[in-house]
Amino acid sequence: MEDKILNEKESLELISKMIQNTQTKLESGKGKPFLIFGYIAFIVSIAVYVLLVTTNNQYANLLWWAIPLLGGLFMYKFGRSKDKYAKTYIDRMINTVWAVIGTVMILVSFFAFFNHSFPMVSLMLLLSGIASTLTGLIIKYVPIVICGIIGTLTCVLPFLFYGSEQVLIYTVAVFVMMVIPGHILNYKGRKANV
Amino acid sequence: MFKELNPLLHSELRLGIMSILISVVEADFLFIKEKTGATVGNISVQLEKLSAAGYIQVEKGFIGKRTRTVCKITPKGTAAFAEYVEALKSYLDIKS
Repeated sequence: MEDKILNEKESLELISKMIQNTQTKLESGKGKPFLIFGYIAFIVSIAVYVLLVTTNNQYANLLWWAIPLLGGLFMYKFGRSKDKYAKTYIDRMINTVWAVIGTVMILVSFFAFFNHSFPMVSLMLLLSGIASTLTGLIIKYVPIVICGIIGTLTCVLPFLFYGSEQVLIYTVAVFVMMVIPGHILNYKGRKANV
Repeated sequence: MFKELNPLLHSELRLGIMSILISVVEADFLFIKEKTGATVGNISVQLEKLSAAGYIQVEKGFIGKRTRTVCKITPKGTAAFAEYVEALKSYLDIKS
């Protein structure tokens, strides 16, 4: 492309081509936030479970705070693409959904700190399930919607189990609604960019 | 009646850059370079012209140790682009 003058028809064709070209092939690396937060939540929940079972010390629950802290740190360090970069309106919408739900999750965690009968695991599963489902709906990708809905529905399971067993439900659910969608999105992105 | 075409946008590379930036929230220099296939020098000159006209906003920052130039279209740029497309329609006899 050069600094040449176009005729009217060429101008319109160029606009159409560039818009179309920009809207496609932007999928690569989209699963990164899912994988970063998904794997951290997965590992942290296993650590909390092991600590609760072996020590029976409720302070093990403080480890949950490692999810937003490590997640934020890893996102800052590895979440930003060092390659060419463009943020679409869909990216902005997804970021907003996760920012709102993430903030609610942190506020709820503070509340649960002072009220131990609070159904924390259920609420976390419900909130992250909703965010995953919305992400799938925004990008119109059925596998992510399905993983999100499964994750959302698991929010009833902690009511059927007690104590550390609830943590294991969270471990499995977070794998289904975060880690699997992350890998699916990255696979889809790699395929689209071949 | 033909409307006058904005001379700042009626050039292949500047129009290409504006078409990219109207489709995204923001894009960096490398993305624009890949999509337009233009040279670094040529893109820099056109970005400066568009920025001087207030059509785009250029922010220079860092990602790790590398510099990153991120561009986004301004409301003035969006309005100019819409006006340009309207003018094009009058030449091509397209009814909106």
